[in-house]
Order: sequence, then C-alpha cells, then structure tokens
Amino acid sequence: MYLTREQEKILNGEYGWAVAKALELIVKVGEYLGADKLVPIIHAHVSGISYKNIGEPGLLFIKELFRGGGIARVYTTINPGCVDLMGSSRIISNELLGKQILVNEYLEKMNMKPTYTCIPYLHRPPAPLERLAWGESNAVIIANSFYGAMTNREGGPIALAAALTGYIYHAGLQVMDNRVVEKEIVLDQSIGEELYGALGLWIGENITGIPLIRKHRLSLYDAKIVLAASAASGSHGLIVLEGVTPQNTYRISDKVEKISVDVKDLKEYRGTPPSVGEEVLFYIGCPHLHPSEFMFIHKYLEKHEHMNKYDFLLTIPRIYAEIFSREIEVLRRKGVDIAIGTCPVVSVLSKKYDKVVTNSGKAAFYFKKIHGIEPYITSLKKIVEMIIG
Amino acid sequence: MKHGLGIKIIIDGDCEAPLVLLDRYISFFGEVDPVKGIVKPENIHIGGKALVFKGSRGSTVGSYIIYALKHYGHRPACFIVKEAEPILISGCVLADIPLFIARDYDYLVQLVSSIRNGVVRHVRGEEYVEIKEL
Repeated sequence: MYLTREQEKILNGEYGWAVAKALELIVKVGEYLGADKLVPIIHAHVSGISYKNIGEPGLLFIKELFRGGGIARVYTTINPGCVDLMGSSRIISNELLGKQILVNEYLEKMNMKPTYTCIPYLHRPPAPLERLAWGESNAVIIANSFYGAMTNREGGPIALAAALTGYIYHAGLQVMDNRVVEKEIVLDQSIGEELYGALGLWIGENITGIPLIRKHRLSLYDAKIVLAASAASGSHGLIVLEGVTPQNTYRISDKVEKISVDVKDLKEYRGTPPSVGEEVLFYIGCPHLHPSEFMFIHKYLEKHEHMNKYDFLLTIPRIYAEIFSREIEVLRRKGVDIAIGTCPVVSVLSKKYDKVVTNSGKAAFYFKKIHGIEPYITSLKKIVEMIIG
Repeated sequence: MKHGLGIKIIIDGDCEAPLVLLDRYISFFGEVDPVKGIVKPENIHIGGKALVFKGSRGSTVGSYIIYALKHYGHRPACFIVKEAEPILISGCVLADIPLFIARDYDYLVQLVSSIRNGVVRHVRGEEYVEIKEL
C-alpha cells in the first residue's frame, strides 16, 4: 500500500502511540482488503461504544487510547450508549450507568462530539462523494444511499481509528468501481408504510450485492426504516433508490437481474399482532427519531387527553434534551417513556415483555435476537393510533 | 521431524509456541473468555499458544476481546488461519498477535492432527512456518 511521508511518520510513532496504533489498524485491514492507498475523511462516526456490548475489554482499550494521547483529528460523532442520559426511563435499565459514563468521558476527552445517536447525519448531513468512516450500519446505508457519500460498514475499532488518524483505506464502497448496481428489486406497488420494516428485512435476507429500487420514491423517514432493516438482517451498505440517491455516486451494470417482491413474501417478516393478555411494548425510535418524526408524535399525542395505558417507548438523540425539552416534558406527563442517547438494541431492559410492536424492522430483528421478544411490525402512524385508542 | 509450511503474512512477528488446533470458526465475542484465556465450549487455554483455526465470525466486539486476552496476560503467540477478516485483523493489531494465513490449511490441519505435541516456529519476514513434534 502506498503511504505518504506523513503517514509513515505517524506509523513510526512520531506522533505518539495511540495514533500509530490506530493507523496500523487501518493499514493492516486495508492491505487485506486490497486497498492501494489511504484517503482522508471528513467525518468519523464511532459505533461499538455501548458498555453493555463492549464490556470491560472495550472500556480498557478506549481508556488506553486516551492515555496514549489519542485525539480525534476529524469531526467525530458518537453512537448511542446503553443508558438513558436523563435517567428517567423505566424501560431501559440504568444499571450500567457508571461504566457507560466512563466510556463517554474518555471519548469526549478525545474531542468526540457527545451526540449519542445512530443518525449522525442529523448533526452533519454529508455531501455527495464525501468520504466518511462510519460505524453503525443504519447510518452507513443512509450516508451512501440517501446522501451519496462514501463509507464502508466499519466496525467499532476501525471507526475509532479513523477518527484518531483522519484516514481510511481506499477499498470497498470508497472506490467508485465497487458502487455498481447488479440487481433491481421490483416492488409490488401495494407495499406501503406498514410493510417497510418487513420489506427491509426481506431485502437483507434475500438480496446480495448492490440493488436498485425503482418507481417507489421513498422519503428520508421511509428510507430510514427500509434501509436500516436491510443493513441489520443482511450486510448491505448501499441500496440505490431511483430519484433519491444522487447521480454520479453509483453506476448501473449492463446486466441487471430483476427480482420481484410482493406483499405475501413479507408476511413472515412482519410477525403477528399482540393477543389479549400479552405484555406489550410499543416502540418507536430505531433508528433514532428524526426531529419531524418526533414533532409529529408530539403533535398527535398532545391534543389527546386520554391515552391507553400501554408501555410506549421513544428513543431520541441526546441533543433533543436541549432543543425539545418542553415537548419531552409534555409527552412524559402523558406517560410516554422517553430514553435519550440510547436504544433497546444496545441496552438492558428493566421489564419483561411478550411482544414488541414497532415500525422498525431493525428493532424487530434485534428484539427477537437479543431480548427474545417476538415483534410485530406496523407503521409509525398506526402505533400512535393504537396508543390513543 | 520438521515440516515447512507456506503462509501469507497478515501481521508479522516472531513466534515459537505449542500448537493448538480448533478446526472451526470462532466468534471471539461469546466464545472466548479473555479473563481466563479459554475458548468455549472446549475450554481450551490459548494463552501463549499458536492457535490454528478456520477464522473468526460474529460481532465486531470480537476485536476488543482479542485485545483483552493480552490485557489479562493470555496473549496467544500467533494465529494461523484459513481466512482472515477485518474483526480478526483489528484484534490482532490491537493485541500485537502475529497473524498468518496458511497457504494449504487442510494439509496443516492434517499435519497438526497427526502429531501429539507440536510446536510452531516462525521468524519475522519468512513466508513459512516450521512445525515439529516435541
């Protein structure tokens, strides 16, 4: 791999242990993946920081990087941790608060932004063809597919290393020749909002390579749900959305295989509605709620005096604690459980449930896998209506 | 008797250690206890050993588990695998563990299975490992 003189100096430890180790990590993985060089990035997004997931080993390494002089050299945002940062959620447990705060403190001391969200594009929407190094698969696929930026699905340590060095290897989706569509998913036009989570799960499990979706123009809110699910059940990093994905950020192969999907294919991914007597959690916020989605829910619930006594959980980025403090208060008084800077995918639950009703295919996938809770997928609007009754 | 076996170096380093064979993929997150330095469910201790296995799978937290093996004093002497991937490579960089891809993994497995107490030796820069029976 070609390295500049500056990169050689970093590798040789002239700027300290942490950045040398970080660059070695990127070089070794890059060499293995066939990268010819390193490229500078504009924005790193560090995932793999939930103490519940990384445990003592992850905390130890992050601490060692900090002590070794590590500092973010590019704009760096942080994924959700495992605790509600306002400490008021009754559904997400705060038992690991002390350890998570330690992780957060080391990251923040290394100049990373305390965003604690899985939608980093909220803080800095990327421009087409900008190079990023993002962990968190849902953010990666939105960056590539919606914004036309360039990032691979980086694991936690690599995204951290990219933050400290400002570089990533030139391979995978960083290379235009690898951003080539070879399949087209032909959607049954009757697939609507209620099935988007299930559709994403179907794509993840049934389609490999880079697919294209035509004639089904998705908004950011819908794309968020479809893409997050496909990146959870599969290994997708880019799904081209006709009329949405910026042109010149991908190519279409001469041979495109067409694959159709209709409503009946999605049935098994959707799950079944809750039955009487089941302990049910209603959950929205995977990926974290966009401001418009949050305001929609607020507006809808604000005018209703009486709500059903369901457990209703919303998960939102940390910054909303400042900008939507009044709205959060209004919803809390109505009994909505709001957890900030975290989500059920990376945390411990305080309560047991038989079923989760969610609009998110990604949440459905992980609720079953991590918490052993059966999901039912429907639309955001339908969930809000169920809550109002 | 000594056997020379071709390797592709992913992370170079000297290594001289007893061989341990686990002819399968390992998910470091979930299957390796870094505090005890063992692989489950076999409960095989891998600290100071040259571990031969197919490769890694599972969560990216696996990199941190490999790092933790070093932290808790159970750093393996080297890994010889059939195939590598970013989680394994990252972990080996963090923990300074030499990582090699066997050019003929199946032959390596056959050889390691046929000897009782095997030892592997590798000198930095050489494109092969030596295997001998104690």
